[in-house]
Amino acid sequence: MSENQLLEPIHGISLEDYSAACAKLGSGLSEEAIAKALGVELPVWQEANLLWPERMKQDQTFEIVTLFGQYFAQAGQHPKFSNAVTGAAEDAGYTAQIKTDKDFYQELEVARNVAYEYGMDGAQWIADKYGITLGDFQIAASKWNAQIHTDIQADFQGYTQKQDAYNAKYRQLFASAQGGNVADDITF
Amino acid sequence: MEELMWQTQERWFVFLEKLETRMGEMCTAAIPELKEIFKADQDPYKRAHSRMLAGLLGQIRRMQDQANEVKEDRILGLIYSLGVLTSNDFREACFNRHYAFEKRCHDYTSLLQKAAGQEDLEAFYQEQLASFALIKDRFTCKQCGGKITVSKMFFIATYVTCSYCQTQNTFLPSSGAQMVLHKARSLAEQRTAHLLKAYEERESKDPDLYQQYLRAMFDEWNKITPDMEEENEKFYLRLLKDKSINHL
Amino acid sequence: MPEEEKKKTLSYVEKLKQQALSQQNYGGEVVDKAAQMEIRDCPNCGAGRAYQDGLTNCAYCGFSFMDIKLTDGIHIKKDNNS
Repeated sequence: MSENQLLEPIHGISLEDYSAACAKLGSGLSEEAIAKALGVELPVWQEANLLWPERMKQDQTFEIVTLFGQYFAQAGQHPKFSNAVTGAAEDAGYTAQIKTDKDFYQELEVARNVAYEYGMDGAQWIADKYGITLGDFQIAASKWNAQIHTDIQADFQGYTQKQDAYNAKYRQLFASAQGGNVADDITF
Repeated sequence: MEELMWQTQERWFVFLEKLETRMGEMCTAAIPELKEIFKADQDPYKRAHSRMLAGLLGQIRRMQDQANEVKEDRILGLIYSLGVLTSNDFREACFNRHYAFEKRCHDYTSLLQKAAGQEDLEAFYQEQLASFALIKDRFTCKQCGGKITVSKMFFIATYVTCSYCQTQNTFLPSSGAQMVLHKARSLAEQRTAHLLKAYEERESKDPDLYQQYLRAMFDEWNKITPDMEEENEKFYLRLLKDKSINHL
Repeated sequence: MPEEEKKKTLSYVEKLKQQALSQQNYGGEVVDKAAQMEIRDCPNCGAGRAYQDGLTNCAYCGFSFMDIKLTDGIHIKKDNNS
């Protein structure tokens, strides 16, 4: 068992509850709905929502942040939120795919960043095009990050080649939607 | 061979100059627009401005990519094929020109980033204080109808007790007041920016000056959101600890 | 044709601006809400919640408003447990 006192629940809201709540907030659940799912009133939730990040800031061991990431990735299994589904059926189609298909996640991660480089809100672009909410995207990110880190160490070149290919694909896609880049006509 | 190097160098210079001219044109056109969009953006996070800025910076990066590709193919390509026959002058001139181009990109990038200036958080905060002063006496207890004066500016939903019937009412602050909490640190940083500058401008970094800045910043932060003082102080101690570890 | 090129650059910047403006912010626009006062009476017996009776249970019928244990937070403290 951990001795870290900073892991004690805040107003009965555990780090697991809090992490899942954050994931659900990112998927569009309102603060009122979050509070309700946790069985508390809004002032209680808002205090916990302020104090958990404070604890992360104070925790020099990084234990809270690490656990937060793990619990965040498992938000879909949190019993308190099993009934608080946000509109569309969860974890079907692309939303399910991004959590099971690492390549798909990596491609969309690049697409999202390139979208920003072309003046688009990348999170909105992913939501419009694939129906994946920011919360689900972040869940996928916390699920895959450690593995991608290992991949990079095992085969840096392979990783870079793949990233370059995705970058090229989406730069072309977004540029052509804007009638090209501003300096495309300048050549050597 | 001399001729080939000379020609390549000329073309490289012209190419980079064209990119720089285009970049300059883009930035000149964009800066007044960035200012306007920042001012007009009603979103508290100024996201329309962020999108436009990101798009412009993306275009600078594309021009850097263009230059890098040509450098790889034409300049380095030639150097490799000529091997020991490459003149040092050619190599140096081409690399220096690229370095100057990169510096230009960097300068334009920070020009665009700074174009809109900072949001006047002090004005925003004063506005919120004034509107809270206007509403704080206007509430009544939902149970007994007695008058409730909200004792201080709250930034999150809070229970407020009716002084007549002791019933717990829930006070929900305005969106503006809630936003103060999120902007408090940035406002404190704006108020103490001169101290950070004093620290950063010194050639040899003086940790005492940094600590002076940090203390003053946290004091301002605590003044803006006094309810968070206890938590902020814990964070302050942690930053000091990290800093002293880094100085060892 | 430097003039024509300039025009193209200008229209590119303009397009970028229009695109930035026309896009919806993720999660919709931030709605500016005024401050409000609300109350939660006991849904079971209709009683209000008096300060001295705490926040978690109804003092009259025992209804559980919140099935948790309050700790020392910012404004809410342990003492607010019923």
